[in-house]
Amino acid sequence: MRVSVTVNGHAFERDVEEHWTLLRFLRDGLGMTGSKEGCGAGECGACTVELNGKTVNSCLALAVEVDGGTIATVEGEADHGRLSEIQAAFARNHAVQCGFCTAGMVMSVRDLLRRNPKPTVEEIKDGIEGNFCRCTGYEQIVEAVLDASGQLDASSKGALKYV
Amino acid sequence: MSDDVKVPAPELNDPPGPGAPAGPSVGVDHPRVETIEKLTGDALYTGDLLLPGMLHAKVKQSPHARARILGIDTARAEALPGVHAVLTGNELDYKIGLYIVDKDILAKDVVRHFGEAVAAVAAESPEIATEAVELIDVRYEVLPPVLDPMAAFEPGAPLVHPELGSYSYVEAAFSPQPGTNVAHVQKIRKGDVEQGFAESEWVIEREYTNPSVQHVPLETHVAIVQWKAGDQVTIWSSAQSPFTVRNLFCTAMRLPLNQVRVIVPHVGGGFGGKAGIHLEPLIACLSRKAGGRPVRLQATREEEFSLLPCRSALTYRIKTGVRSDGTITAQQMTMFWDAGAYADYAVNVTRASGFSAGGPYELPNASVDAYTIYTNKPYGTAYRGFGHVEFFWGLERHMELVAQAIGMDSLEFRRRNLLKPGSVTMTGEVITQDTGDPMACLEAAATSIDYGRLTPAEAEHERLTGRRIGKGVATLHKAPAMPSFTATAAVIKMNSDGSVVLNVALMEIGQGCNTALAQIAAERLRFPMHRVKVAVERDTDKDPYDWQTVASKGLMLSGNATILACENLLEQGYAVAAQVLRANPADLDHDADGVFVKHHREHRVPWPELSIGYAFPNGNGIGGPLVGVGRYIAQGLTHLDKETGQGLPALDWTYGAHGVVVDVDPDTGEFDVLAISSVYDVGRVVNPGLVRGQCIGGMVQGLGTALCEGYIYDQQGRLLNPSFTDNKIPTSRDIPARIDSAVVQTAQIDGPFGARGVGEHPMISVAPAIGNAIQHATGAELMHMPIRHEDVWRALQSREPIDNWITETPVGSCRSDIPGGNLTAKETDTPLREEQPVMH
Amino acid sequence: MTARFSYAAPTRRDELLSLLADSGAGARVLAGGTDLLGDVRSGLARPATVVDVKRVDGYADLVWSATDGLIIGPAVTINDVLSSPTVREAYPLLVACAQDLASHQIRNRATVVGNVANASPCADMSPALLCLRATVVLSSLNGSREIPVTEFFTGAKRTVVAPGELIERILIPPETANARGAYRKLKRIKGHDLGIVGVAAMSKDGALRLGISSCAATPLLVEGLSAQAPADEVVAAAHAVLSPISDVRCTKEYRTHMVGVYVRRALREVA
Repeated sequence: MRVSVTVNGHAFERDVEEHWTLLRFLRDGLGMTGSKEGCGAGECGACTVELNGKTVNSCLALAVEVDGGTIATVEGEADHGRLSEIQAAFARNHAVQCGFCTAGMVMSVRDLLRRNPKPTVEEIKDGIEGNFCRCTGYEQIVEAVLDASGQLDASSKGALKYV
Repeated sequence: MSDDVKVPAPELNDPPGPGAPAGPSVGVDHPRVETIEKLTGDALYTGDLLLPGMLHAKVKQSPHARARILGIDTARAEALPGVHAVLTGNELDYKIGLYIVDKDILAKDVVRHFGEAVAAVAAESPEIATEAVELIDVRYEVLPPVLDPMAAFEPGAPLVHPELGSYSYVEAAFSPQPGTNVAHVQKIRKGDVEQGFAESEWVIEREYTNPSVQHVPLETHVAIVQWKAGDQVTIWSSAQSPFTVRNLFCTAMRLPLNQVRVIVPHVGGGFGGKAGIHLEPLIACLSRKAGGRPVRLQATREEEFSLLPCRSALTYRIKTGVRSDGTITAQQMTMFWDAGAYADYAVNVTRASGFSAGGPYELPNASVDAYTIYTNKPYGTAYRGFGHVEFFWGLERHMELVAQAIGMDSLEFRRRNLLKPGSVTMTGEVITQDTGDPMACLEAAATSIDYGRLTPAEAEHERLTGRRIGKGVATLHKAPAMPSFTATAAVIKMNSDGSVVLNVALMEIGQGCNTALAQIAAERLRFPMHRVKVAVERDTDKDPYDWQTVASKGLMLSGNATILACENLLEQGYAVAAQVLRANPADLDHDADGVFVKHHREHRVPWPELSIGYAFPNGNGIGGPLVGVGRYIAQGLTHLDKETGQGLPALDWTYGAHGVVVDVDPDTGEFDVLAISSVYDVGRVVNPGLVRGQCIGGMVQGLGTALCEGYIYDQQGRLLNPSFTDNKIPTSRDIPARIDSAVVQTAQIDGPFGARGVGEHPMISVAPAIGNAIQHATGAELMHMPIRHEDVWRALQSREPIDNWITETPVGSCRSDIPGGNLTAKETDTPLREEQPVMH
Repeated sequence: MTARFSYAAPTRRDELLSLLADSGAGARVLAGGTDLLGDVRSGLARPATVVDVKRVDGYADLVWSATDGLIIGPAVTINDVLSSPTVREAYPLLVACAQDLASHQIRNRATVVGNVANASPCADMSPALLCLRATVVLSSLNGSREIPVTEFFTGAKRTVVAPGELIERILIPPETANARGAYRKLKRIKGHDLGIVGVAAMSKDGALRLGISSCAATPLLVEGLSAQAPADEVVAAAHAVLSPISDVRCTKEYRTHMVGVYVRRALREVA
C-alpha cells in the first residue's frame, strides 16, 4: 500500500506492507534508526514517536494507518547539529547512560513540556511513566527535565555527597 | 636514551585525599563523551546495522522444560522460497562453555529448559524466517523436569547432565560432581566452626531464598555474523566483552583467534547478561550454511526472557553462633545456587560468592559450602553483583534476625562485627585502613536516615496516614570476581594536531567508562577533555586486549593501563623533545600545548610537531608517530585453595551501606520506600555525575529485584512470565521520593588517582535494607524475594508465603502471553493441563 | 510483527459494515490497536483482514447532551475522555478509571470501546461503565441492537458481539451524570500495570453501585446498595459476588482482602 507521511518536516511517499508497524517503517523503510524496539508490545516506550501531535508507541501502530499523517521522531529534535534545550539538558545532567531508551524518552519529555511547561517532579515522573530506563534509575532524567524547563535550582539539583 | 634518564614517576602512589580540589579533569562532573550521538539518534547499535545481503534469522524454541527430541522435520521449512539455511542440533558438532563445556549450540537429542533453541532458520526477511520456523516439526518425548534445586540436589534425582563426567572444564578453579546435578562445589574453611559454636551463647539458623531474575537490558541480545570463505568470521554483537566473544567462539568452533574479528558498536545495556557469548555461534553456523551471507538475529523481548539466560536463583542457609555481647563466634554458610540447565557463569558466581559470603564482618570461624545445581530451567549467567545481590539478601536479613534474637539493636550489632583494620577475611586476607572504610559507610547511611528514631515529620506522617514507618540498614561489599592474573591494555595515539585517540576494549555499556578514561587520560596528559577522544566502536582487530567488562574492575585496571599508556606517550614525546630542545629529559615538563624545559618555559616544542615525527628545519626527521601503550595486570592475587578456599582473590574491596525508610500499611501490607540513602567507599571520585548515575541506577535495579522481579514457572517448568506483562521492572513512578548517594574516599593505593570500582555495588543489599525496614515497622519477617505487598500481608498475618517460583496455582491468564506457534506444545506431545480461567 | 494481513480503512459506515459482513470471522476491527496488534504479534489473533474504524465519519465523536447523556464513538481514545472538560465534570468515575489505564502513550491510542470489546477481566473501563449503567450499541448490516453492559460480557475475553458486528457506540445515560465516583486499582508497581483488582464505586441519590474487575471471568456489578449502608455490609455484598482465582499476579485470598480494603476506601470518597 502506498503511504504518504511527513516525518520531521520532510514528505515521504513509500510502498509498505500492510502489516508493517510504524516503527518498522521508520527504521527499515525510511532508515531512521533512532527509535528503538525494546519490547514490541507497547510496554517499554523505546519506540515512542509523535504521531499527529500525540506520543504513541510506534510498535503498536501500523504504517498504513498513518497515511497522510505528521510524525516527529528524535532525528528531528536537533536543528542541523544544534541540540535542543531538552537534549542539552539531558547531556548536562547525565540523563543518558546506554542511550537505548533515550530517543523515546526525549520524545515523551518534549510532549510533556509542550502540555505542561513547568511540571512538578511528580508530573515529570508521571509524564515519562511509559518509558523504561534500566540504567539511570530516572532521577537524573527528572533533573534534566527540570533543567530543560528552567526549574533546576540548588534545592532540586541532586549531587553526590561526600562523607 | 641512557638508563639513568627517566621520565618522572607516575602519580599513582600519591592520590589526592578527599579534601583535595578537583584536578583539571579527574573529579570534574564532565558530561559523557558519547552522549550527543545517543541524544540525536545517530548512535548505531548492532540492531541498526545493515549489511549487504544480510539475512534474518529466527529460532525455534522448545515448549518443554525437559524432553527427548525424537525427530525434527525441516523439509517444509527448507522448501520455503527465501529460506537460505535451516539448522538443527544434529548437524553441529560443537560444545560451548566458559568454565564447564556443557552446552550445544542447538539442543542435541535432549531439551533441558523451556525456551531452549532446537532449530534455527536464516531467510531473506523476518516474515519468511518466522513462517519457516512454524513449518519445522519437532517431535518430543516429554519427560518430567527437575525444577526444584533442593530436589535436584538429592541423590537419585533425574540428571540434567548425565554426561557431566565427560565435559572438559577449568580444573584449577572448579569441581563438577559427575553422576549428580552438582556443577561445582566451593568450600571455604576458616578456623573451626564447631569450636566457634561451642563458644557461642546463641545459635541462630535460618534460610533465605531468591528467584531467578532477568537483566532486562533495554536492547535485547542481537548479533550479525558473517562466516566468509577461508573461515574468516566477522561478528558484530551487542556484547560486553569482545575478546571473550572471540575467545569462546574460537575455542568452540576450533578456529585460530586471528581469523575471527569481533566488532561492538554502541551497546544498549548489559548488566552481565551480555558478558559472555550467547547467540553468536548459532548465527555463525547459519551464515556458514547460507553460503557466507551475513545473518542477523535479534531476540524479541520474550526470547530475551526464555532463550537468553537470567541469573541463578539461590537458597541460602546461614547458621550463626554469637555471644550475648553481640560478637559473632562462628558462621556456617550453605548456598544452593539454582543455575538452570547450563553452567555458563553460574559456577563462577558460586565461587565468587563463596569467598565473599560472610559479608564485611569479622568471622573468626567460618565455613562456606556452596553448590551450583543444574535444573531444567533457563540458566543463570553473570549478573550485576555476580551473586552478591542474591546472597546479601540472606546475609543482611540474617544479621537483623540475629540481632533481634539476642535483643541487640541491629546497627550496634553490625558495628560490633564489621571489618576493621587488622581483621582477617574468610580467605585469609588482612584488611588494612587503606582497603576501605565500611564503618564510615554504615554510620553515614544510618545517620542520614535518622536511624533509631522518628523525626517529627515522620511521626506526623504516621499519624496522618495510619501507616507505620520503619528504618533499616544493610551493608555490602564486593571485590571483582576475576582470574588472579586478569590483565588489560590501552593504546593512546596522538593525531597530528596534538589531539589523542584512546583505544581500549573495555566496553562502554552505559556505565560511563569512556568518559572516566578520557578524564583520566586528560588529567595525566594535562590536556583539555575535548582533545581526548575515546574510540566508540570496539574491534578485536584494532583494540588491545581486555578481559571482560564485568566485575567493577574496569576503572581500576583500564584506568591504570590508560595512565601507563599516557606515560608511555609522554616518554616518547619527551625523548624527541629532548633532542629538539637539546635538554636532558629529566629537565623537561609538559602542558596542554607542548613539552618545555622546566627552567625556560618558553623553550618548548608544540605537541603537533612531535606527534607524527619531528622535522628539523633542514628536513631531517626524528622520532615518529607517538603511540603510547600501557598494560596493567592484577598484582599479587592468588588462586583459592580448592579445599580451604584460602588465598588472595581481591583486586580491591568496595564497601557500602544503605539506609532505607519505608512506611507500611499494617492491614494490607502495602508499603512505600520513602527514602534510600546509600554510601560507598569509592576511593576517589573521577566524575561525580557518573558515580551518582551508577549509585542511583544500580539502586533502582536493586529495587526491582526487591519489589517486583522474578521468574515464575509452572509444574511443567514453563516460564509463566516471559514478557513485561508479568515481569515488571521499576518505572519512573516507582523510585523513592528521596534518594541520596554519598561517597567515602579512602584512596585505593594502586587505583588510578586512588579510585576503585562501584559499578555493581549500588544494587547489592537494597533488598535486605527494605526487608529490615519493613520488619522494623511491623515485625513482618520476610525470608524470600521479591517483597510484594501481598508478601508483606502474608508475613503480617503469619500466612503461608506464596509458592513463588514453581507455582502450583493455576496457570491463569499468563499463558496468553506465551507466543503462539513457537512455544505451543502440539497434540502429539504430552497433553497440557486443562485451560484455566483467563484473566487477561 | 511478521504475520501478514490486509488492511482496510473505510470512511463511510455502510462501507465498514459491508466489509465486516463479507469478511466474517476473518476480520478484526482496529481502533487503537493496543490490544489487537499485541495479540497479532503474539499469535493469539490471526486476522486475514484488519478493518480500521478511525476514518469513518463521526466515529471519533465524544458528545454529551443533557437529554442523551454521553455518546462515545469507537475511535474515542482514553486521553480524549481524560481531556474532555465535559466528561471530567459529568462523569468523574469514568475519568478516575481512565487515568490509571496503562501509560500516556497507550492512552493516546487505546479507545474506550476497544477496552470494552477486548473484554479482559482486568479491563479498567468496564467497572465504571457497569456502575454508570452504560449501554453498548452493536451494529451490523442487519441493523443495530442495544445491550446493557451488564449483559455484554459472557466470559473472559468473550462477549455477545456476533460475526459481522462491531460496537458502534457506548451510551452513558444522563441519569448517572454528576454521580460521585471513586476507583481503586491494585497494581504490582506504581508504574503502569494492568489491574490485579479494580474497584469502582458510584453513589447518586442515595444509591450505591460497585464495579469490580479482575475477580471473576467478567467484570462484576454490585447494585441495590444504599450509599448510607455500613461499610461492612457493602464489603460483604462485594465479597458475595466474587470468584477470584490465584494466578501469577496475586492469590485469591489477597484479591478478596483488597476488594474489601478498596471498597472501604472508595466508600469514604463517595458516600
